Amino acid sequence: MKFGVIFELSVPRPFAPGEEGRVFFNALEQIRLADELGFETAWAVEHHFLEEYSHSSAPEIFLTAAAMQTRNIRVGHGAVVCVPEMNHPIRVAERAAMLDVLSNGRLDVGTARSSTWTELGGFQADPDSTKRDWDEYVRVLPRMWTEERFVYEGNCFSMPERAILPKPVQRPHPPLWVTVTSPGTELDAADRGIGCLGVAAASFKEQERRTREYHRRIQLCDPVGGVNERVATLNFLYCHEELETGVARGMQMLGLFGVLNANLFFTREAFPTGAYKTLGNLAPSRRPVGEGSPAARRGAPEGMCVGDPAHITGAAKQWESMGVDQINFMLNATEVIPQQQVLESLRLFGREVMPAFAGEPSGC
Amino acid sequence: MLIGTGEPAALAKGAPTMERLDIDAATLPGARVLQVLCEIDSASRCELLPPALHPTLPPAVSWLVYDCPDTPWGPTRLAQTRIQCRSGTRPRGLLVSAICNNPVAGRALAEGWGYRWEPGEIDFRRGYDEVRSVVHSGGEIALEIGLREPSPLDPGDIQFVAGMHPVHTPRGFRLLQCDPTHAEAAAERGLPLVESFEAEAWGDSRIEPVYPVSAAYCTADITLPTLRYLCKPDELAFTGTEKI
Repeated sequence: MKFGVIFELSVPRPFAPGEEGRVFFNALEQIRLADELGFETAWAVEHHFLEEYSHSSAPEIFLTAAAMQTRNIRVGHGAVVCVPEMNHPIRVAERAAMLDVLSNGRLDVGTARSSTWTELGGFQADPDSTKRDWDEYVRVLPRMWTEERFVYEGNCFSMPERAILPKPVQRPHPPLWVTVTSPGTELDAADRGIGCLGVAAASFKEQERRTREYHRRIQLCDPVGGVNERVATLNFLYCHEELETGVARGMQMLGLFGVLNANLFFTREAFPTGAYKTLGNLAPSRRPVGEGSPAARRGAPEGMCVGDPAHITGAAKQWESMGVDQINFMLNATEVIPQQQVLESLRLFGREVMPAFAGEPSGC
Repeated sequence: MLIGTGEPAALAKGAPTMERLDIDAATLPGARVLQVLCEIDSASRCELLPPALHPTLPPAVSWLVYDCPDTPWGPTRLAQTRIQCRSGTRPRGLLVSAICNNPVAGRALAEGWGYRWEPGEIDFRRGYDEVRSVVHSGGEIALEIGLREPSPLDPGDIQFVAGMHPVHTPRGFRLLQCDPTHAEAAAERGLPLVESFEAEAWGDSRIEPVYPVSAAYCTADITLPTLRYLCKPDELAFTGTEKI
């Protein structure tokens, strides 16, 4: 089991001068600490127009700063929105390769298609075509990174022969992932031989089903490039010596994230289309951990890593037992937890929880 | 976090009164339904909602027109103007007001399900290349919306969010959750048409449509539900929700 951190860069109102900078620099400090503690990856999402919820519209720039300030932690460009109105595929390939070079081969590339009308409508993108376009992106990106010169005629774009530069340093190319919010996308990932980057908190039961299907299906894949057979899930981390305090502060973050997420105008609600069968809502379920458990009695939902080290170790072990390779943690939401407490939570996790997973193979 | 800043007392003015909350469900079979969504000007996005609700990003209005040939009160056409919003984390539509062409039905809808309504005339036309509805109030056009270039859609792909109806109840002034079900037989989607909207005629002149989003049409059996929840208008849903 590996652990990562993931950043929405959510900014609390009012948007006073310097507030965005405070959030960004706090996140960078958290990444530096995560690097020291041995976390695997620091992910930054790409979102546009999502007031408060996420001001991470240029994650490749944020991640370049992160890479320059760290030694070992990987940087996860996760996920690039593969919609032509937002990011031309050539630019995606170029920016990712540049980041891979500058980070000395520490880049992971997530792919996505956006689930909100807020974003798709803002760029006047057609919700009906996002899945088709995403499919085209993940098939051309490995070729753009590995072919000396690239020529292409497709649906969402075409280009005459050119050299797409720079080339990434990882071979054959940076690992590719797709964000999974809706059931079924894990199969899209498996069919293409790419990683399953869970960004919606799923229940144990649902995650176990998805993971099993993913690993079964990827054995038969027609890979778009180098195969990346891994499953990562999203979680929330607040680790405190006292269970009650850990759950209470963690739930405060989780609840706030849920409300901010719900305020977005989801494509399925705004625009009738068969291309979005679910809302794509990322808020975790609030189902209790298990009847009678100490964390459940304090209101912790199933599988959430909020509480004391013992509870968090148990939850992570359970994720591991069902074949999850990596848990990516959100550490804060609109700075509701003071920065020093976030750092203390990370340190405690590194001291008390991470050793329980050192060197163990995945349970898959 | 964005939260409504509208004064509940202002919402209470003109809200209908319900003497009881244990109404039986009613079915409106074979209805034609037109729904058009449009982004609205952000300037008043919080003022349009009471403190119980959150605006969407971006804020939007939805118009929902029912053409019901068969109701317990005779043939009825009902047009609603609603503000898309959130109650807690749930998608909802705050009813601004409705216009109904059948006074008997209008009264029944107000007394049974909390619809704030005014009498008016509603044209509803299904052509080959468009669906169009024109709503008149006091002899003037209050709303003209439509759908152009219809194309078939899986009926399950149209989302109808539950309404929040400001209403005086035996428990006091509340937001009533009203979530009709729409059993769709056929559905279409097309380019949204927003020809005319007179906000004043619907009781809130601050609503300014700016960017049409979508239009959908379907035939459906509508069921007006039994009532389940009330919300205190000045309290977030997490604590202000009451079970009926």
